[in-house]
Amino acid sequence: MIGNAPFFVVGVLFMMALVGIFMSRNLIKIAIAVTILGSSVNLFLVSLGYRAGGSVPIHFLAGEGEVMVLPTPQAMTLTAIVIALAVTALLLSLIMHVWRHYGTIDVDEVRRLRG
Amino acid sequence: MNWNEHLPALLLALPLLGAFLAPLCSLGGKTVRNAMFMAISFLTLLVAFFLWRTVLAEGIQYYVMGGEGSRLSLPSGMAVPVRIILEVDALSAFMALCGAIASFAGALFSLNYMSRFTGLSRFASLYLLLTAGMLGMMITGDIFNFFVFIEVSSIASFGLIAFWRDRPAAVEASFKYALISQVGSMFILVAAGCLYGRYNMLNMAAIGSALQMGTMEKLALVFLVGSLAMKCGAFPMHMWLPDGYAEAPTGVTCLLVAVSQASLYGLARVCFSVYGIAIGSAFIPWMIIVFGLASMFFGVAMAVVQHDMKRLIGYHSVSQVGYMLLGLGVGLLVLGDPRAMAEFGMTAVTGGLFHAFNYTMYKALLFLAAGAVYYATGKRDLNDMGGLARKMPYTAVMFLIASAAISGLPPFNGFVSKLLIYESSFAVHPFLAVVALVTSVLTLASFVKVFQTAFLGPEKGVLAGVREVPPAMLAGMAVLTVVVLGLTLFPSWSLSNVAEPAARALVDQSGYIGAIMGGGM
Amino acid sequence: MGKVFTGFGYWDVGAWIIFFIVAAAYVLWLRYQGRQDYKKGTEQDEIYWSGNETPEDGEGLTVPASSAYWGFRKALEPFYDRLVGMHTGVASDILGYYVVVVAFMAAIILLV
Repeated sequence: MIGNAPFFVVGVLFMMALVGIFMSRNLIKIAIAVTILGSSVNLFLVSLGYRAGGSVPIHFLAGEGEVMVLPTPQAMTLTAIVIALAVTALLLSLIMHVWRHYGTIDVDEVRRLRG
Repeated sequence: MNWNEHLPALLLALPLLGAFLAPLCSLGGKTVRNAMFMAISFLTLLVAFFLWRTVLAEGIQYYVMGGEGSRLSLPSGMAVPVRIILEVDALSAFMALCGAIASFAGALFSLNYMSRFTGLSRFASLYLLLTAGMLGMMITGDIFNFFVFIEVSSIASFGLIAFWRDRPAAVEASFKYALISQVGSMFILVAAGCLYGRYNMLNMAAIGSALQMGTMEKLALVFLVGSLAMKCGAFPMHMWLPDGYAEAPTGVTCLLVAVSQASLYGLARVCFSVYGIAIGSAFIPWMIIVFGLASMFFGVAMAVVQHDMKRLIGYHSVSQVGYMLLGLGVGLLVLGDPRAMAEFGMTAVTGGLFHAFNYTMYKALLFLAAGAVYYATGKRDLNDMGGLARKMPYTAVMFLIASAAISGLPPFNGFVSKLLIYESSFAVHPFLAVVALVTSVLTLASFVKVFQTAFLGPEKGVLAGVREVPPAMLAGMAVLTVVVLGLTLFPSWSLSNVAEPAARALVDQSGYIGAIMGGGM
Repeated sequence: MGKVFTGFGYWDVGAWIIFFIVAAAYVLWLRYQGRQDYKKGTEQDEIYWSGNETPEDGEGLTVPASSAYWGFRKALEPFYDRLVGMHTGVASDILGYYVVVVAFMAAIILLV
């Protein structure tokens, strides 16, 4: 049961992020919620690779242990973090430009493109 | 050294090299940068063409990244592939060829189109990065790698849509796309995680060989189908698409059309090659068919009432993607039934894929022609245009060819693929074909409107000084026109040499798996 | 070369091209026949505009694109009001449709 705790946290974070995206009207808060969404997915990946009692998956540091945690999800997580960083930076800079052009960062008012 | 073996890696390496070379080349001035930009785009097109020829001649090509040998998919007695593998079958090569043509035409067009603006080293950089991301999505055989390439292409396209960042609408369109695309990508990553958690594998062929339908697999399938359908613009998740297509610089829009086809490719690959017959219930196939019908009808219904030229063509993208979804959905529905498959399933898949090729060509041409009009007149609203055919005869003729092709007027190529889709979807239920036919009629109606208001009619006084666009832009459009006319005049050649091998590769799940996992499957 | 068999029928591009050539030739021939009583430079040259005075400047005569298919749009007004109203342009609505569709699909596929 306790082994599944990370997945509950993942679920809670994921739902929190979705609620955050739909409930906030401030674009910055929406960007923060998107970041939380990314973090929850990263946590999901890392917890997938965990093996109880496992050691670090490095050939000469593993020690005596028979079991190692999986290295692939960690590599995936690192990649996903870098990508999420790039997207967050872009989102924030776009919000900056939105503010410059529209004078507001209320999501309901940034809607010149419609219909 | 056998170059053929390295073609898959070269296809990605060339545009990536160009992307990072662009700022360096800009130090040498405008000519050097433009020459590099064109050279890289053209070489990518050549590599895609040779890769396509090789795949048709020698079967599935694959390339192991970072292994002892590039053709060693299962090193040292491993039962499953552990490295990132690029797998190119006839479908991937077909899509890559289609994307490379669109990318080359867009690059050629952008030479003149963008020359009035600054920051072009970054433009060239992002453009080639977007090309690399798109080609990567089409040829990778690894589901996490697919996610990475989706993100590469998404990030490049956010930058390119907002390239004119002093225009509010461009920034707004880019922000909306960035938001929905990032959430969609996270769902794709969750799906990759679900599949990895179940099988400890990321290779699509390896997952496909072991797949048993369970809760996690169902969730992964739904997330992948939903996100990829959103990325190619299925109704009701299409709203970012007309915004983004209309506000991006036109050369980029031409490439974005091809990028949406890469997502469609991903959708087909996941449904047919990874899940295949194991997809079980008819729910997902019917869902894809419903997406197709809704996109077709509502997309074109929205297009009829638009009066911004690029936005109107953007809504037509939604409706055209519906045809491909309908074709693929019908094929997926009868995948497990050999008799129905032989009767109309293969026709549906062939029609869907051939339509994807046709669509990319004529839709890119339409966008380029709309961009040429914008370049010459500075206007996008159809209400302000009129009589342009006298001033811009070449653009008018190419626009006419493209709009006849998209409306499926005989004898143009759009009709051939639509005919295949009509007949095969009619075999499932007549209603599907009726919706497709009504959509075709409305498409024709709205392009009659565009052609009549923009190119015909009396001349407007404000447009007296309009000139035909410069030669590089005409050349970009001419490339696509030649392809459209070629597909039109030789429909049976292009069907049997272009679309049918791709369709056979798509439905041949064991072939796709066997190339990586060895013949014993 | 130009013939495609679809399993139900066939499509021949050559036949269509021949049809268009024949049709074009016929139309050009008809046009060539002309009217025998036409005289250049008389009132026959004037534009007929529903019996109204023909304006000097043709610019204002066109139907603008936003009014094209006005009747079609008017007849389907309830449909269009709803469809256009759906495209609010608010970023969270765009995202909402996507999440709702994925959630709907997930619910159905897990239940069935």
